[in-house]
Amino acid sequence: MTVGQREEADPVALPAGSTPGPPRRRRVWGDGRLSALATAVLLVALGGCWEIGSAAKLWSPEVLPAPSALLPALQALAGDPRFWADAGRTGGEVLGSIGFGGVAGLLVGVSFWKAPLVGRVFEPYLVSFYAVPLVLFYPVMIVLVGLGTPSVIILASVMAAIPMALNTWVGLAAVPPVYLRLARSISCTRWQQLFRVALPSAAPYVLAGLRLAVVYALIGCIAMEFTTAQAGLGYRIRYLYDSFETAPMYAYILVVLVVSIILTALLAVLERVVMAGRNRS
Amino acid sequence: MTAAHPATGALAVRVPDRRHYALLGSVGLAVLGLVIWQIAAGLVFVIPAPLATVRTLLANLMTGGYLVDAQVTFQNSLVAFLLGALIGGAAGLVLGLSRWARILFEPLLIALNGLPKIVLYPVLLPIFHLSGAKVVMGLLFALFPILINVAIGVRELPPVYRTLARSVNASRWQTLVHIILPAIRRPLLTGVRLSVSLAVVGVVLSEFFATRRGLGRVVLQAYSGGDYRNMMATILLLVSVSFVLSLLLWRLERRVR
Repeated sequence: MTVGQREEADPVALPAGSTPGPPRRRRVWGDGRLSALATAVLLVALGGCWEIGSAAKLWSPEVLPAPSALLPALQALAGDPRFWADAGRTGGEVLGSIGFGGVAGLLVGVSFWKAPLVGRVFEPYLVSFYAVPLVLFYPVMIVLVGLGTPSVIILASVMAAIPMALNTWVGLAAVPPVYLRLARSISCTRWQQLFRVALPSAAPYVLAGLRLAVVYALIGCIAMEFTTAQAGLGYRIRYLYDSFETAPMYAYILVVLVVSIILTALLAVLERVVMAGRNRS
Repeated sequence: MTAAHPATGALAVRVPDRRHYALLGSVGLAVLGLVIWQIAAGLVFVIPAPLATVRTLLANLMTGGYLVDAQVTFQNSLVAFLLGALIGGAAGLVLGLSRWARILFEPLLIALNGLPKIVLYPVLLPIFHLSGAKVVMGLLFALFPILINVAIGVRELPPVYRTLARSVNASRWQTLVHIILPAIRRPLLTGVRLSVSLAVVGVVLSEFFATRRGLGRVVLQAYSGGDYRNMMATILLLVSVSFVLSLLLWRLERRVR
């Protein structure tokens, strides 16, 4: 039954621990190794095709430069203070949004669990704004707060908070009532009931929510910078596009792609570690 | 799960009653939002009041140029959604049915889903040109929710369903239409709901960047021209269309259990 509920709250996340239980676990690891290998091979093959296509002049280097031409551009980026300023700004925005959004989402999720009617009242809005038409409010935010980091962080925090809140709520609602009864019977305080019993039990949902929150914060920040900003990775990609600097633009795009893949992978690993710990105990 | 279907009178009365409260509360929340908007408009002069915004929107909808922009945006979103749903649904089916497809492509697909796809727009522009690139961007946005939900839904089908299909000698097509599709209707609908809104977001974001016509361009032009009333009206139109669509699909989803 948890499957149905999970999809409802967590529609865009492949749950890492969806096949728990010791016997299947081992096979999943084997599959994981194979997958990693296959992914590496696919990426190398893709890079090879890209390089060969560029060498055979299937497309002009102004449109899509060869990977070998991007390496010097990436090296140039590493020594470019402007790049580090952009990366610092975007990184700060993303971290800030994850922090604010994560905490706010957790609080909202817990309070909806405590007061289900309030949750039902807010639910249609949360569910509908899930799919990020929120980016559309960015121009309004600029008019209100001004062009700069705060307006990006405010909207990206809201985007990150929504999946976090929905997942926390559903996870808490799925805690078996007997856990809470037990906690009460050994006279846990409310604080202990929440932090020692309910939240650990809901951890898979909360973690899946956190993963979505990170993804949404990153997507939101970059998309907003891309629309209008004065600095940041998203802004720089657009700037370089407008000034026809193709090679540095691709280097920037590559950086954004790699950073977001690393973030997703880290969170997937974290989720696995936590799930493995739960299955052992 | 279906505790709302009891034969006992007491429960049957109480359950719809509480639903009404929730509905009332949600409507009340919308009204509260409007009031806050009105007050904010009074305090900060750059925000147009709700009524003025709606009036601007209605006036806009009477002008031909604006209608063309709206038509371009919604048509492109529709095409993006349909293509995304088709491709995503097919890919999700393959990914859910075949263990090897999962081993080969799952990590890449998860990584792609987490990307800020909008940075790829400059890459798409020279390939698909100004008119096609935003459809492809909308497609990329719409693709993943359907793909992932279908894949999970198919993967978690009870094995007995497929055994049954084999035992009655169902053809592949029959298995798909009569067994798999009905069984995954809920995750499928979830995917459809997310994809519809995301297709609109993808198209409008692309229009923020570069395009000839479309509501995204109208918003950004109104912003840079300081025409905040027009900007708010257009944002209101876009947000309410995707909000209403998403809400309707969500309610449908709850009914389909």
